[in-house]
Amino acid sequence: MIQILTGIQNTSAALDAEHTRLDVISQNIANAHTTHDLNGQPYQRRVVVFESVLKNAMDGGSDQGNLPTLQVARVEKDTRPAMHVYDPGNPEADARGMVALPNINIHEEMADLISASRTFEANLAVVKNARTMAMQTLSIAKH
Amino acid sequence: MSPLSAIPAYSPGSLPQVNALTNRDLSQLPASAPVTSGTPVGGDVFSSMLGQMVSEVNAKQQVSGQMVNALQSGQNVPLHQAVISMEEASVSFQLLVQVRNKLLESYQEVMRMQI
Repeated sequence: MIQILTGIQNTSAALDAEHTRLDVISQNIANAHTTHDLNGQPYQRRVVVFESVLKNAMDGGSDQGNLPTLQVARVEKDTRPAMHVYDPGNPEADARGMVALPNINIHEEMADLISASRTFEANLAVVKNARTMAMQTLSIAKH
Repeated sequence: MSPLSAIPAYSPGSLPQVNALTNRDLSQLPASAPVTSGTPVGGDVFSSMLGQMVSEVNAKQQVSGQMVNALQSGQNVPLHQAVISMEEASVSFQLLVQVRNKLLESYQEVMRMQI
C-alpha cells in the first residue's frame, strides 16, 4: 500500500483517542448535577486511560510498522467521594437535608477540555504538515 | 511499489546500508535481465506496477467516498478520519498524475529523437 502521508496512522489514532477524551469530558460536564444515575447513586466522574499498542506491520515487519501507537484502554470511574451539599428542598435530599452531588469540579473539567482540544489541534497540525510535505515533494516533478 | 516503499527504511549517515539497499532493490527488479535476450520483460513488469498503483489510488478514492457518505448519512464516523482519507486520496492522485506526466514527457522526448 502506498504510504503517501507519512506517520498518518499514529496521528489518526491520537486524534481518535483525543476525540474519545473530549466526548468523556463533555459527558462529565453535562452530568455535573446528576444526582441520580442508573444505579441511584450520584454520577461519578469518568476518566479516559490511554495505552500504547503495537499495530501489526502491514508491510512485513519494517521498522516503521512496529512503532507503538496509542488507543483508549478504558474509561474508568473517578473514585473520589461525592460532594455533599445542604439543600433540604431538593427531592434527593436525605433525612438531614444533605444532597450528594457528583464528584465533578467544573473548573477541572474545563482545564481538561482545553488540554484535550489543544492536543487535538497539535495532531491536526501534524496532518497538515504531512500533507504540505507530500505536496512540496510532488512539486519536484513540476517545472 | 516495493522499491519505493523500501526507501523509508534507510537511515541517514550509513552509506554502506544505503548501497546495500539500492543493490538489493535493483536486483529485485526483473528488468535487470540481459537486454540482449530480446523479450520485453521489463515493460510488462512496469505496466503491472503502474496498474497496481492506479488500483491503489482508486481504492483510496473509494474508501474516502465511503467515509464521506457514511458521515453525511449520520453514521458514527469521526470527522477527522473522513477528512484525512480525503486528503490521502487527493495526494495519492496527485502523485499518480505526476507519474503520468513524467511518463508522457519521456515518451514525447523519445518520439522527438532524430534518427
